[in-house]
Amino acid sequence: MDSLIAANLRQRPLRTAISVIGVALGVVLVVLTVGLARGMTRDAAQRQGNVNAELRMYPPGNISISSNPLMLRSRYADAILNGVKPTAEDPDLQPKPPIPGVIATTPVGEWIQSSGAVGLGFELIDGIDYESFVKTSQLNIVKGRGLRDGRTPDSEYEAIIDRFYAANTMQEDGKPVDVGSKIKVLSHELTIVGIYEPSQLARVKIPLATLQQLLGGVNNCTFVMIRVEKPEMTDGVLKTLKQTYPGYNFIRTSELPELFSQSSKPVEVFLDVVIGLSLVISTLVILLAMYTTIIERTREIGILKSLGASRPFIVGVIEKEAAVISALGVGVGFVASVIGKYGIEAATRLRIDLIPRWLLISAAIGVLGGVVGALYPAMRAANLDPLEALSYE
Amino acid sequence: MKPVLEIIDLKMVYHVGKVDVHALRGVSLSVAAGEYLAIMGPSGCGKSTFLHVVGGMLQPTSGQVIIDGEDLTAMRDSDRTDLRRRKIGFVFQRFNLFPTLTADGNLKLAERIYSNGSNGGDPKRRLEVLKLLGLEEKIHHKPLELSGGEQQRVAIARAIINRPAILLADEPTGNLDSENSQIVLEMLRGLNNEFGQTIIMITHNPEAAAKADRVIEMRDGHVVS
Repeated sequence: MDSLIAANLRQRPLRTAISVIGVALGVVLVVLTVGLARGMTRDAAQRQGNVNAELRMYPPGNISISSNPLMLRSRYADAILNGVKPTAEDPDLQPKPPIPGVIATTPVGEWIQSSGAVGLGFELIDGIDYESFVKTSQLNIVKGRGLRDGRTPDSEYEAIIDRFYAANTMQEDGKPVDVGSKIKVLSHELTIVGIYEPSQLARVKIPLATLQQLLGGVNNCTFVMIRVEKPEMTDGVLKTLKQTYPGYNFIRTSELPELFSQSSKPVEVFLDVVIGLSLVISTLVILLAMYTTIIERTREIGILKSLGASRPFIVGVIEKEAAVISALGVGVGFVASVIGKYGIEAATRLRIDLIPRWLLISAAIGVLGGVVGALYPAMRAANLDPLEALSYE
Repeated sequence: MKPVLEIIDLKMVYHVGKVDVHALRGVSLSVAAGEYLAIMGPSGCGKSTFLHVVGGMLQPTSGQVIIDGEDLTAMRDSDRTDLRRRKIGFVFQRFNLFPTLTADGNLKLAERIYSNGSNGGDPKRRLEVLKLLGLEEKIHHKPLELSGGEQQRVAIARAIINRPAILLADEPTGNLDSENSQIVLEMLRGLNNEFGQTIIMITHNPEAAAKADRVIEMRDGHVVS
């Protein structure tokens, strides 16, 4: 490194450290915010897709992949699998045949509840019909037992959780939740009766009947998962479903990650704001740091001028110094981001992805902010009158 | 001998509020290559203004300053800076060394400026120049670790490292005790004798002026003798 720049950085270690931390802050802001948004979306999409059901049925109209109230009749699950005929209780029921190629269906209710500091302030809860759910998923109970139907007082308030939730959710005594622990869902205390793997849909599952009762959406669900006999039959089944249930929404499970990323468009706007803020922080930090250093070193700039240093040379010295501070800030920011990622993941159920592309973008923002921030002080220094600068005290 | 510096009817007027201060009132002078010139005169007589104009740090009101055939007064600011880099070496009363750099670092910086940042200089040459000024032991010392006389010698080393056509010294012994003043003056004399370095020195000190080949006196912006 240029000896003048190295000497200047060493001359004011506190100023250098504060500037480096300022740039690092911007880098951490971008890396962790983007990583958090991406990590949570990826994790959610992955869990949504981690089932054996190839298709999903949603009610007619606009749907949101990430949050829906219970708007779909649960009985569609049975109707798709077994067909439906008018009954004495419901003589107006339109008859529907069973859909060929469908071998299992299950209604799933989803609810997002506030979950305090952990889980980004919300938490997804599944209401499932356990018996049919296991036929459309790879759910495997590793400890305890599965859910009962939730229609009897002794089975009403119970829940199963995935391994990740069990390992990352602490009870009041600081120990991880386990079979027998209590968790709160919709202001009711539920007992954990089992731990399952792999993670799929929400991490906490309760009986659908309980969710319906708590939400007042009796006999309704959010969507129906549909499993077909062979994956290659999916197109045919989808076509028949659309013909048999016109107006309803059907989604391939494989399309869920893409739909999740589309539904996170508002998050992208938020991320743009974060990136802008980060750029502003880096720019201002360097601008202030370099501006004060120019004032402090006015006399030295006068000496440089008396030695015949050209304007580009002086601008170059200051810009290089800013670039070194920015590069150090980027490095510190990366290290802090990695520590932050593992710290946050260990302390909460949040998932943070460190994405190489965004590491590069944050580095570019840090360095660009530094270079832009140093430009005004550098130009000011380059334009100083040599004699005035030399007589500066 | 061919003049390295020609000054023709040099005038400099400062505008201080509504008052015009005539610092130089038509100075004409010629300095031959290899000459050692001392300029004396009372405070406010225009000596420093003269030196700053010759060094390209001030644009005169009128007149001509020709250094090695190049008319400084006809140049833009950036060209004057370029000429200063190539042809002028400055020694100041207050040394003006970079406090964060060692003696070697200060010389290296001057080399880098001379090459416009394109190379890191010549370590052998730096050592040679520091040796010439009796500073080889102090090569890695920072200014605050040096005596005043040593700092001024580093400043002289920095001024001559790029072999300037003219060395301008502004009261080089003004901040030194008599012993160190003598050492610095001997060094300047030695540079002129051994290497033919052209030196223009401003001084209040008649003993310092006595070391020069020629002494001129200024008063009220004029050369009077």
